[in-house]
Amino acid sequence: MAVALAVPPTRMELLKLRQRVGLAQRGHDLLKEKMDALVIEFFEVLRRIQEARTKALEQLFVAHRALSMCFAIVGTLETKQASKETRRELQVEISTRHIMGIAVPAVEVREVERNALVRGYGLHMTSSVLDEASMEFERALKLLIELAELEGSAFALARELEKTKRRVNALEYILIPRLKETLKFIMMRLDEMERENFSRLKRIKAMLEERG
Amino acid sequence: MNANRLIKLELSKLNVHLPERRLSLREALSSARPQVVARDGSTHAFKREELKFLAGLLPEAERDKLQLPILIGLEPKLGRGTARISGEAEVRVVSQVLEKEPAAGELLIYRPEVAILRKKLPTTTQYLFLW
Repeated sequence: MAVALAVPPTRMELLKLRQRVGLAQRGHDLLKEKMDALVIEFFEVLRRIQEARTKALEQLFVAHRALSMCFAIVGTLETKQASKETRRELQVEISTRHIMGIAVPAVEVREVERNALVRGYGLHMTSSVLDEASMEFERALKLLIELAELEGSAFALARELEKTKRRVNALEYILIPRLKETLKFIMMRLDEMERENFSRLKRIKAMLEERG
Repeated sequence: MNANRLIKLELSKLNVHLPERRLSLREALSSARPQVVARDGSTHAFKREELKFLAGLLPEAERDKLQLPILIGLEPKLGRGTARISGEAEVRVVSQVLEKEPAAGELLIYRPEVAILRKKLPTTTQYLFLW
């Protein structure tokens, strides 16, 4: 059972408490609506993560198969040498976008798939299978970046969802019951005081009648 | 008391993601970077493919009437999960997206429909909390 707050049982306090209950109730209803909206967003992001993960894994499978082919045809040492010569920078623009005021990451990549000439390894010592393996890995990288963005969004939404749920629960199970209990206590106390007053007045009237 | 202040603060934070000024569909389509500035100073960008999709749903003459983002008004007194869409062009577009009978001026949609709407128009719709 909720514990009533320690407040003086006056009509003024009763009015103030009623206002506070109204405000708390309104806050609770709105936060619950926000929580529902967050759940909708969260599940949508989860669905997209599942799709993105499936695509990324499929692409990685293709890329690894192409790499194995490359090892077999070009040779392991040559492939490793070519990978060391490759340019490794990638232009990524990381910003934030907002879902209901929650900042979620937005990653924009200009070009992941590169031309064989831009990659940096020598073309005269390598084969087209290496180009193909590189291209497949670049495609996989693009999908992995998309997946990372979605996972970042899911984390941010989950954190906000947890925070909102805690607030809703605090209002629903602690603050509102406590305020209502206090309200009930004040009303009972005021009723009691009214009854006391009534009986006191009756007693005074009886005493006056006895004297008169 | 602290709790009161906290509730008021929470309520004031609910709508900070809303734009200070909404853009019409025509303005958004003609802009190089279609975006709006939110009350908290952040920017909210619209995806061009969504704008084109919306343009396909409305006749040319009504592109000025559609204000973006479309606001999904969540109001507890309507019942949990019920949302209100206001505005003539907005109602027409949402009705077409959800394949509902078009209503005049105002449309009430429910949670599964809100989810569909958000899925189809993630950047051109936003939640509005009303009390």
